[in-house]
Order: sequence, then structure tokens, then C-alpha cells
Amino acid sequence: MSLWCQLAYGLRKLMHRSSHDRDVADEVEQYFEDATAAWVARGLTSEEARRAVRLEAGNMTLARERANSYGWENAVTNLMADVRFSSRQLWKHPAFTLTATLTLALGIGANTAIFTVVQSVLLAPLPYRNADRLIALDTHWTNNGKTTPRVTGPDAADARDQARSLEAVSLYYGGNLGVELRNHSAYTEVTLADANFWRVFDLQPIAGRLFTAADEHGAALVSEQFARDNFGSAQAALGQVLHVESDPLQITGVLPSGFNFPGKTQVWESRPLREPALDNRTAFNYKAVGLIRSGISFQSAQAELDSLSQRLQTAYPNEDRNKQLIAQPLQEALTGDARPTLLLLWSTVGFILLIACVNVTHLQLVRSMERQREIAIRKALGSSRAQVMQPVIIESLLVSLIGGAAGVLFAFPAVRMLVVMAPKELPRADEISLNGEVLAFTLVLAVLTALISSILPALRAAKVDPAEALKNDTSRGISNRGTGRLRDGLVIAEVAATFVLAMGAGLLLHTMTALMARDMGYETNQLLVVDADDPANSEVDAHRAVQQFNDLFARLSATPGVEHAAGIMGLPTGLYGSNGYYTFTGAGPVNISHSPYADFSVASPGYFQTMGIPIRRGRDITAQDTFESPFVVVISESVAKQAFGKADPLGKQIQCGLDSDKWMTVVGVVGDVRQDSPAQKPGPTLYMPMTQHPFYANQIHIVLRTAVKPLTLLNTVQETIAQVNPAIATRYTTMDAMVNQSIAVQRFRAVLISSFAGVGLLLAMLGVYGTMAYSVAQRTFEIGIRMAFGAKKAVILRSILEHAAKLACSGIAVGLVLSLMLARLVTGMLVGVSPMDPFSLCVAALMLLLTALVAAFAPSWKATHVDPMKALRAE
Amino acid sequence: MGDQNTDVIQGTLDMVILKTLSLEPMHGFGIGRRVEQISRGVFKMNPGSLLTALQRLERAGWLDSEWRQTENSRRAKFYRLTRSGKKQLENETADWTRRASAIARLLKAEG
Repeated sequence: MSLWCQLAYGLRKLMHRSSHDRDVADEVEQYFEDATAAWVARGLTSEEARRAVRLEAGNMTLARERANSYGWENAVTNLMADVRFSSRQLWKHPAFTLTATLTLALGIGANTAIFTVVQSVLLAPLPYRNADRLIALDTHWTNNGKTTPRVTGPDAADARDQARSLEAVSLYYGGNLGVELRNHSAYTEVTLADANFWRVFDLQPIAGRLFTAADEHGAALVSEQFARDNFGSAQAALGQVLHVESDPLQITGVLPSGFNFPGKTQVWESRPLREPALDNRTAFNYKAVGLIRSGISFQSAQAELDSLSQRLQTAYPNEDRNKQLIAQPLQEALTGDARPTLLLLWSTVGFILLIACVNVTHLQLVRSMERQREIAIRKALGSSRAQVMQPVIIESLLVSLIGGAAGVLFAFPAVRMLVVMAPKELPRADEISLNGEVLAFTLVLAVLTALISSILPALRAAKVDPAEALKNDTSRGISNRGTGRLRDGLVIAEVAATFVLAMGAGLLLHTMTALMARDMGYETNQLLVVDADDPANSEVDAHRAVQQFNDLFARLSATPGVEHAAGIMGLPTGLYGSNGYYTFTGAGPVNISHSPYADFSVASPGYFQTMGIPIRRGRDITAQDTFESPFVVVISESVAKQAFGKADPLGKQIQCGLDSDKWMTVVGVVGDVRQDSPAQKPGPTLYMPMTQHPFYANQIHIVLRTAVKPLTLLNTVQETIAQVNPAIATRYTTMDAMVNQSIAVQRFRAVLISSFAGVGLLLAMLGVYGTMAYSVAQRTFEIGIRMAFGAKKAVILRSILEHAAKLACSGIAVGLVLSLMLARLVTGMLVGVSPMDPFSLCVAALMLLLTALVAAFAPSWKATHVDPMKALRAE
Repeated sequence: MGDQNTDVIQGTLDMVILKTLSLEPMHGFGIGRRVEQISRGVFKMNPGSLLTALQRLERAGWLDSEWRQTENSRRAKFYRLTRSGKKQLENETADWTRRASAIARLLKAEG
């Protein structure tokens, strides 16, 4: 009640200031008149009465002031007055205002932009219902601590049927598949899921119905986008038939836009709850999502999975040894990989803001030194500590709020650019947007910035001794030593922070160049890649597809501009691929924990020649290796070493779990390649003929070694493919682009951190320039005297540059220590570069030293042109 | 009276004002005069403190105010005790009585 009264009265007074003032004035006046009248009534003359009242009650104005100054709203009024005063001050010092505002706009804008991404990707709940109860099921290996983000069918089915704490569990898999519509086929993200999928996500279609367990096969749901793109509208899509891998599917429903889990799925194909493939407890063919029953904690769900895993380990001692099912919050599962990169970016922009703060602190210091006289006079007139500090802090607050607003404006395009630049792997990229939370963060940031950058100047203002300050004439360079040291300290801090950034940028850039220069094991340039998907689902069909592909390779090789053409399932950095354990003659029975591991590729004859992978021994796969002839395999050097050591591998037998248990004879040895990205070591690969493994040969990459620019052949190649079989879905790219894409994350990091380091350098340059320019300006009088006594220009120039260099070196030293401490943050992101890489270190140090010297040069040049006569006369 | 202290005892200003207003609604000067009269000139009120205190009490919800005509037909702000003001007065009076009698006992004590 009373608080409410306070607020209401205060607000009323603020709104109706003048009428309130009049009321108080009236009341006071009335009081004095009454008092006078009382005296007159006792027999004094009105003159005497007035004097008596004044004697007794004091001055009327004072009483009015006192009565008026009651209430919290007066603090607001004073604040507003200070705000008005500060804005006038800022307006009158445009250079200061502009520099400080822009500096902060950069710092705050960068932070806002990165925080937008961090917030949207890492912090915001997933845009699904019950987002906090959604989990991903993973398989954890208790023996080596590793986690496979997949599950085997039977294990997950057991979790689904037995775990009471999980309301629903759904198994799914999928990827980019060729989807045939009536007149064309296109690559589309397809997810094959069981009917539980919809229970987990608690989703309703916008048209039609969900598929249920009764649908088993042949039903599909599509996204609203897909329906609109291909059929015109959601309603029109219902009942339509599309083919995925030549399975006919009827669209039963359309899902609302905004739902496209997993990834960017457009088509969801129904799978039965129990598939025959479910029976293998060692094949990690599925991903699984689950919904924790409402009211049950994540921990108790995990505890139940733990005991379930125990039971499974006992029941299947062979297949389920060391296996543990673990639940991971879905959000974490989706965004976990992006976390380190985003956190790195976040801390980087944190550094930028710190540098910006230091810059603004310095600017404020310079300003407050110019204001010493004003502050001294205020103090001499009786201003309190707080009253002197308030305008300094308010000024800073104004600057950072304006800077913050400008920063938000700057963040809009920055966020859009970030999204464009972001690697495909960045999860939830389409959800990134500037929102209320981000704006709140920015506001808090701006206020914090203001406080941080004004605390030193404000404290200094509070310490001003009026007597000293009024005597002290700063224009004569007779200032106390403390301020100089403080400003030097700021420069050192700034250089140190920038050094850390530059060092980080150096390391990531060095990693990038190391990656780009890496020998992949094959020739990446002049290589056209066609993703080709020939729908086939029966054995006959698969053989037909391989035959067709072989025809196609021959025709493509004959195309002008094409030197060689071949096909491969398992192209490095490509879509498809397989891997697993293999065994070989003399190795004894398969033992999962000891068997060697390799990538499995299925290739056509001429693949090695096309790719430029050297054949070290033996022969290539040939047309004579058919489905009927003895199975053969070509191995990479690592396999040879792994399996056979120094013995001759040719003629040895190998068996792998790709699709058949037939023994294959080693007929050739080729060089190793880096399979997934340049960041990977060259590894073991088994190459098997397409003809002998037709089930793995209908989704392949066609590679063409070209004599001309690869993409210029696009139309010719497409025509040839369409002639052979128009149902083949195709997509074109080049090997260079694929390899580039495979290091997109590293590039994203390197580019961003480097640009941030660039911004940092710019700010540091501004900071050093400001400090030097200010100290030269302050020392003009001293320099004038020295020149008048015959000091050489070079000596003065050197003394100032030396000072700058000294500061830069101290900053670099501090930065080096900081970098050492922060090195482990980036260790995981470096490839082939040590966290204390001397090259990056030298570059960073040199850059900073140069920056400092360049920044200091202009002021010192100016110093040497001081005209002694003018300097001495200047007052 | 010259240099005799006529300030209201610290911390009792609110109570004194509330008590005075419990007799009848009054305006600023009326309160001051009444306090002076009843205390026989021991306490005198400074208009600055009095008017500030009135604002405070009003905001606390213990007083109501309205502009009225005085006997000599001038506009004046009259203050009136509210119900919660009455309660507050009772509390403060009880507290004061307790403490004043304690002081009195202490001063009367003999060794």
C-alpha cells in the first residue's frame, strides 16, 4: 500500500511538476502568512511580524526548497538533468562521441550477432512440443568410453518395449535419396521412420492423416514445402504417389512447415515397428529418438536404461558386451558438435568487447582530464563524490546505449551474413534470428560496458582535489604521473587482448593452409562429380543398374573433354560409404574387438586412373571381374600393412561384412586416401568391383577426369545420362568443391576469428594512436622546450616510438602468457599445428608491434614538427 | 527563550503531528501553532521540516489532504488522519510511553 502510494505520488509529481510546485509554494506561503497574521494578532506591526517570522521559521525559499526536495522522484529529476547535461556535452564533443560510439557499436554488434547464433542454436529450446523431454538414444561403450550416436534395432526395440520411463521410442534412418515424381526425380532428404515417430514428437498433420503401425510399408508424409513445390498445395498432395528407391509410396498426410526433423527432411516414409533387419545386435543401422514420460526426470530415465543395458549384457554376452544405452537430451545431440565452435566465437567477441571497453575507458579518461577544472569547480562548490561521478557514468551509459543501438542495427546484416557463411553442418541454422532475448542480452551488455569503461574515469573524477586541480595546468604537461601510467596500462591490456585474438587467428589460419595444402592421396582438380541414384530394389534390377552404369561410363569416357570416367560407392568426402571390420587368411575367426577396421568402397574399372590414385602393385578392377567370377578386392597400402605386414598381399584372401561372406582375393594394392576430409589421416580402404556387389552399386558417384573446366560439361553429361536412363537422379559438383566443403567448419572458424582479430587490431591501433596522440599533445610544451634547447628531431621521434614499442612489447608478453593459458581451448580445432606454433606466434607479435608503431607514428611525426616558439607561447 | 533547544525530540515528529491531527483536521500552520501552544513553547516547528514530514506521512497513507477555504477565505491544504494513521498513532504512542517510562525509571534510580 505504502509503496504503491510512494510510486503514485512520485509519478503524479513527475507528470504535473509545475502544478505540484505551485501547491507546495502555496502551502509554504500560506504558512508564512498565517504565522505573520498570528504575530499581528498579538499586536505587532506587519513589518515587525514579518521579521519575527523570519527569525523563527527561517527563509521562505529555503523552506520551499526543503519541502520540494522530498521524494524519490527528485532523484529522477536530477538524473534527467544530468542526462540532458551529458547529452549536451556529448553533442559538443563530436570526435569523442563518434569514436566511442562506433567502437562500442563494433564491439556490441559483434557480440549481438554471435549471441544471436549462440542463443538460437544452443540455448533456445527446440521448436518441438515437449522439447525438454525429447531424447536421442545412443550406444555407449563402457570399455573405451566412446559413444556411437546410433543404436542397433533390437537394443532400441527392447528399450522401446521395456523402459517404462519412456513414453515412446522411435527408430529411424535415412538420408539424401532419389525421389521419383511423375515426370522427374530429385534428391530429397528422406527419413524412414516407424509409426512411433509421431508419438515422440506429438505432431498433427495439416492435411490428411499420420501413418500408423497398420500402414507398415507404402505410406509417406511430406512437408508442407514439399507438397507446395511439387503438387501446388497440401490438399493436392494427398493420395499422390511418389517413388523412393523405386518403392511406391502414397502420401497420406502433410506436416506443418517448421517440422523437418531430422536435418531437413521433406519426406517421411513409413517403416514397420519390427523389421527383419532388427534382428542384428551388432549393426548400428538406426538412430533413435524418445520421449520421457511427463513427470519423470532425465536421471531416472537414464537409470532405467542403465539397468536395462545390464540385463541386455547378461542376455547377449557376445553381441552386447560393453554396450550401454544412454539418453542424451535431443537438443544436446543436435547441437553438440557446433558447441565448441560457437563457444570459441563467443569468447572471441568477448575479447573484442573488452578491447572496445579499454578504448572507451581511455577516451573517457582523456575527457575527464580535460574536465578536471570543471570537476574541481563542482567540488569546490560542494558537490559530493557521487554527484561528481554521476555525470561521468551517465555519459558513458549514453554512449554505450547509442553504441548498443547502432550495434543491433549492425548485427542484423552480420547475422544474415553469418547464416550464409555457416557450414551446412551448423544445426538449426534456419532458426537463427534476432529476438527479444538477444536484445535483452545486448542491453545488459551495453550497461555492463558502460560501467566497466567508466569505473576508472569516475573514480578518478571522485579523487580530484579541487585545490590541486585548479593549480595544475594540464596544457603545460604538468600532470601527475599516475594518469600516464594508467593509460600505459590500458594500452598494454589492449595489446595483450588483441595478441590473444591474433594468435588464435594465426593458429586457425595456419591449420587451414595446412589442410588445403594436404595431399589427399588423389588429384582433386579437373574432376567432375555426379551423384547418381539409379532406383533398384530387386536383384535383377540391381544387376541391370550396374550394367547400365558400365555402359554409361564407356559413353561418358568417349565424350569430348572427358579423359576418364568411372563410378564409385564410397568417394572420399562423398555422400555414400560404408566401413567395418574385415578378416583375412591366417587371421583366425572374426573377433570384433581385435579385427582390423577399414572403409569399404565399391568401384568400377578405371576408378583409380580417373582419380589419380596410384596403383602400387598388381592390377585394377577389370571388366572381367563379374558377379560369376571369383571375388576380388583391391586394397590400400594401410590394409596391406595392417593385415599382411611385410608379406606380399597379392593372392591373399580377405573377407568383409559389406554384403556377402565370400572370400575375396587381393589383386592389387593402391595408395591410401584421406576419406572424410583433409583433417583425417590417410587410412585403410577395401575396393570391391561394382559388378560383384550390385546392391551397393546403385547409389554412386560418377567421377569424370576432364580436360576442360569440369562444370562446362554438365549439360553434355546430363544428356548422356538421360539417354541411358531418365530415372537416374543426378546432382553435380566438383571434387574441389567437395573437398572444400569437407573443411567448411574449419574455414568458417578461421575466417570469423581472423575477421575478429582484424577488428581487434583496428581497435588496438585506435587505442595506441589515441594514447600517443594525447601524450604528445600534453607534452607539446615540454617538447618545445627541448627543441628550443637544441634537441634533434630524430631523438624526439625515437623517444616516442620507443615508448610505443615498449608498451606493445609488454602487451605482447602479457598476451603470450594469456594465450598459453587459453591454448587448450583451441587444441581440438588444430590440425597439424601445435597450440604454440612459432609461426603464428611470430606473425601475431609482428602484427601487433607494427600496428603499435604505425599508430604511434603520426603523433610522433607531429611532435617533431612542434614549433618551439608557438609551443612556448601557447596558453 | 533565546538559545534554548526548541526542536522536536528526534524520532517523535511523526507522532506529534499524528497526535495533533487526531484532534481535528488542520493545515500546516495550524499544526505548528497547536504543537507550540500545547507544549507551551517547548517545541517549535520549522516549516521546512513540518511540510516535508506531512508529505512523508501522506505518502505512507496515514494522512489525507484536501484544499479548503480557511476562515479568512484563503486556499489552504488541510490534513486529516486516516484509519491507518490512527492505528499508527496508537502504536507509536504505546512505544513512546514504554520507552519514556523506562527513561524516567532510569533517571529516578538511586544508588
